[in-house]
Amino acid sequence: MMMVDNHLQTQTQLQSEFQYWFPVLRRFGPDDPFFASGNIERELLAKQIALDLTEEEKQELRNLEDEYSEVFCPIVGCGATLKSLTDFEDHYNARHTSSCSVCSRVYPTSRLLSIHVSEAHDSFFQAKAARGYPMYECLVEGCGVKLKSYKSRHQHLMDKHNFPSTYEFFKKSRPSKKERMKKIQRKQKHVAVSADEGEESSAMQVEEETLDGLVSAVSKLTTSDSSPSAISFGRRHTRGFTFVPRAVQRETKK
Amino acid sequence: MAGEIAASHRRDPIKNTVGNAAVQRRRQHAVSVAKERREAMFRTKRLCTEGFTNDMDVAINGDMMIEEESSLLEAQTSSAVEELKLAISSKGKENTVNALRELRRLLSRSEFPFVEIALKSGAIPLLAQCLSFGSQDEQLLEAAWCLTNIAAGKPEETKALVPTLPLLIAHLGDKSSLSVAEQCAWALGNVAGESEELRDLLLSQGALLPLARMMSHDKGKTVRTAAWALSNLIKGPDPEAATELIKIHGVVDAILRHLKKSDVELATEVAWVVVYLSALSDVAIQVLMKTEIVQVIVDQLAASNTLQSLIPLLRSLGNLMAGDVVLGPGNETTDSIIRSLSKCLKSEHRFLKKEAAWVLSNIAAGSVAHKQMICKSEAVSILLNLLVTSPFDIKKEVAYVLGNLCVAPSDGSGRPSLLLDHLVSFVRNGCLCGFIDLVKSSDLEAARLGLHFIELVLRGMPNGEGQKLVEMADGIDAMERFQFHENDELRMMANLLVDSYFGETYGVDE
Repeated sequence: MMMVDNHLQTQTQLQSEFQYWFPVLRRFGPDDPFFASGNIERELLAKQIALDLTEEEKQELRNLEDEYSEVFCPIVGCGATLKSLTDFEDHYNARHTSSCSVCSRVYPTSRLLSIHVSEAHDSFFQAKAARGYPMYECLVEGCGVKLKSYKSRHQHLMDKHNFPSTYEFFKKSRPSKKERMKKIQRKQKHVAVSADEGEESSAMQVEEETLDGLVSAVSKLTTSDSSPSAISFGRRHTRGFTFVPRAVQRETKK
Repeated sequence: MAGEIAASHRRDPIKNTVGNAAVQRRRQHAVSVAKERREAMFRTKRLCTEGFTNDMDVAINGDMMIEEESSLLEAQTSSAVEELKLAISSKGKENTVNALRELRRLLSRSEFPFVEIALKSGAIPLLAQCLSFGSQDEQLLEAAWCLTNIAAGKPEETKALVPTLPLLIAHLGDKSSLSVAEQCAWALGNVAGESEELRDLLLSQGALLPLARMMSHDKGKTVRTAAWALSNLIKGPDPEAATELIKIHGVVDAILRHLKKSDVELATEVAWVVVYLSALSDVAIQVLMKTEIVQVIVDQLAASNTLQSLIPLLRSLGNLMAGDVVLGPGNETTDSIIRSLSKCLKSEHRFLKKEAAWVLSNIAAGSVAHKQMICKSEAVSILLNLLVTSPFDIKKEVAYVLGNLCVAPSDGSGRPSLLLDHLVSFVRNGCLCGFIDLVKSSDLEAARLGLHFIELVLRGMPNGEGQKLVEMADGIDAMERFQFHENDELRMMANLLVDSYFGETYGVDE
């Protein structure tokens, strides 16, 4: 029944805003870059005898086209130019996948990462924010404005920097598949689950088990049934949460 | 004659010029020669090196020219022009023809024809005089040939022909000998290929009609040259010339007649005319689609073995399919088209694969019956393979085909419905990874395609399988990248998908 509700909600939400796949006829003008390599081939074939072209020369001329296909990195604020798509992949993996050492969430720049760390894992930050100091930095580098709350910063981004309202620095969490499996297994066996993929360090493992305890503790706080709370500590690939309740934070301190 | 002298110089031992300066000059020379050759490649102009006469002492060599030889030939060129001037003023017909021939030979070298020096020496007004009405054929021929090769080079050189254009156009007429008309057509083709301004000029001076009439001839070479000149003349970007051309009496018949012939070079050039007609003019598409042209092209495609004819045949078909006309041909024709396209998909030439996939994507945008025909053919397995293995530009086109095959034609209201059996079949064949690759690329169009397809999968796969499949293929990861993407539209799409399908309640009821 939950699934049906989910889908209904999905459908209505998507229908209002999403642009779906529509099959359409696509047409190109005769000198569109789409046809460039075919046109070059035509000229090569027509002139190869008159100009006595070697195979090497022909290949070189064909490759000239590729030289002009630069790739621009689309991540906000990056502006890097790469020579090819493989270069772009390398660039992306090198520069835009720094992850938080506490919660393993991934951010595309070191600046955003450090903002995240302050806002999500620093109790000092939380303390100052609670006392009314403007702590929430504008995300646009060079702006310098600081706001008093996550919401007002969001508003600032929309007002001053034309960010769309859907831009969420901290999105509501979504439990990863591993998280969900764990919950199910916990319910079934009440045994701590081992770390996934063997990639995580033992420190993380300890933290996980503590976090697991916290999650179950927090979920007991709610009056709802077995559905998970909005807050969930996750591994990489999950996104951040809006705030950390003080009660929970105290317990994470080691 | 001069040609022989030039040849014997080449056989002499290379003079020993010692020292860095000479080496430097030679290197610079080589660089500029290479640059010139490369530029010659990209121009849509053609040098005329073989003619209607039998002299084959025209130099065609790939070797770098020695500087001394070069300056010698320059001197010869300017003296040839001088000779021509003398011959004309003395009204010696034979001398005039000889002088023209001499000049023509120098201008026919594929390596650095000495156009600049000829122009500086005042060749154009002399050549214009040689084109006067009533001159003997051989004189007209040689003069037009000289002009052809002057026009084959740099922009300034081509523009220099402007004073001679009305004369060249006049000699296209039905009273001219065929070889003269052909040579004039060639010269005009070079001029038209240079720029939009020159095309407009030629059109205003009435070049279109006589060239179109030349297409109705039977002699292959004539039609070829006329067709090539026409394609340079109508290439726009203003579609008016294309629309004019299709309306001229006899043109459509001539096109169909020549496309059916087995002369590959002829069919090629005529097909290029169709390429431009169909790319530029909706009127042309309508007129052509009322004829059997699609069948003719399809037959030629099936029979064609050469790359040079394949290119314009494929592209004409593509342009015709892309017009606002509903694909009318019966099932047999469509079947045959799909087979030819599958053949092109297997080609070693990257651009052929890309363009074939494009044509398929437009067929796949048609009726449900068309989509089913494609799905029943071998095209689908080739496409699924290409999605994984091919370079990015081909991947994108393939994505269009596969996506179009999964979605029913839109009836104008809201969300178009899915063709589930196609979608399920493709996904089971592992196509999702290819689409997620597109999502991760930096190309906006590709990313949009990928996100669109993910939506189809999430919406359509039965039993909520879509979500699991997307997650397993790292789809969530790929979509989350868009959180910090500078493109608003894509960011919103990705966010919507993730929020709607992978929200809090994702996977709860397992």
